[in-house]
Amino acid sequence: MSRSGKLRRSIVVVAIALVGGVVVGTVVAAQSGGDAGPDVASLQAAIAAEPMTKVADVAGSESFSARGVYVQELETGHLCVWDAPSAASRERQGGCNATDDPLGGSAVSANLAYDGGPAIEGVRDARLTGLAASNVASVVVLMSDGSERRVHLKKAKLEAGDFFAFGYRFKKADFRKGVGPIAVIAQDADGGEIARQPTGIGG
Amino acid sequence: MKRSLLAVTVLAFALALCTSAWAGSVTYYSSPYWSAGQGGSSSFSSSWWQNIMAKNASFDSTITFIDNTSYGWHSTVRGYGTYLTTHWFSSQVKKGHCRANAAASTPATCTAVN
Repeated sequence: MSRSGKLRRSIVVVAIALVGGVVVGTVVAAQSGGDAGPDVASLQAAIAAEPMTKVADVAGSESFSARGVYVQELETGHLCVWDAPSAASRERQGGCNATDDPLGGSAVSANLAYDGGPAIEGVRDARLTGLAASNVASVVVLMSDGSERRVHLKKAKLEAGDFFAFGYRFKKADFRKGVGPIAVIAQDADGGEIARQPTGIGG
Repeated sequence: MKRSLLAVTVLAFALALCTSAWAGSVTYYSSPYWSAGQGGSSSFSSSWWQNIMAKNASFDSTITFIDNTSYGWHSTVRGYGTYLTTHWFSSQVKKGHCRANAAASTPATCTAVN
């Protein structure tokens, strides 16, 4: 075989190997659970590239700086809610849902972020952030001792619709006493329960 | 020719790995359905900095980092999002951990990023 013939054959073999590698990889990814939920790689890229809008505050405390509640409405069709020190920070904690169901089928969607634990007494800082539907009049956190913490709601006009946003920092004294949150409850104007989302430390 | 075949095989294997895992990420646990308390952990490493749980539908779950000295939890997030994530930028040796807090008949995958 001539030198150019050998070269052509090598190119064909390499091309087949490239296609084969990608096909095998795709199958491996699908079988290892890569097909569960949103396309993580494209979502990661969108989260890194697209802007965040601050919709509420998380108050500071004697030991911890104030943070913010940020929303991203992504080109991928997801609405994400983050608890973060700033819009530029990569230290964001939270999650996303499809833009057409940003509250996951409920009237309230909250994320509990905390450091320390899993025992309640070991928690150093804990914050609740999230969104509530526009027909919600109030949001309270039910604590393990039966008491409630009222969460301040702030109007958030988003492309996905009108919501209330909230950010709440728990008191360290509660955790020292072994008292932690067990549910987030959305209420109507009469105090009636519209939706309940279980939560908690160590779960 | 033998050398070419070997090179091609290695290339194909490398590409397969690249396609099955995006840059620096390891899927450490996945399940087609979940019972309350079910979950898993990654290996311990100082280089993990992000933990992700991706679900086909919303359900109550927790993701965290667990250090290898006190086994304390760090940067924990509990939520219902179909994509849940947290970051812990620390050189401490740690593992990613995810778990369901309620039963769910939906596939979900937990991934640690380094």
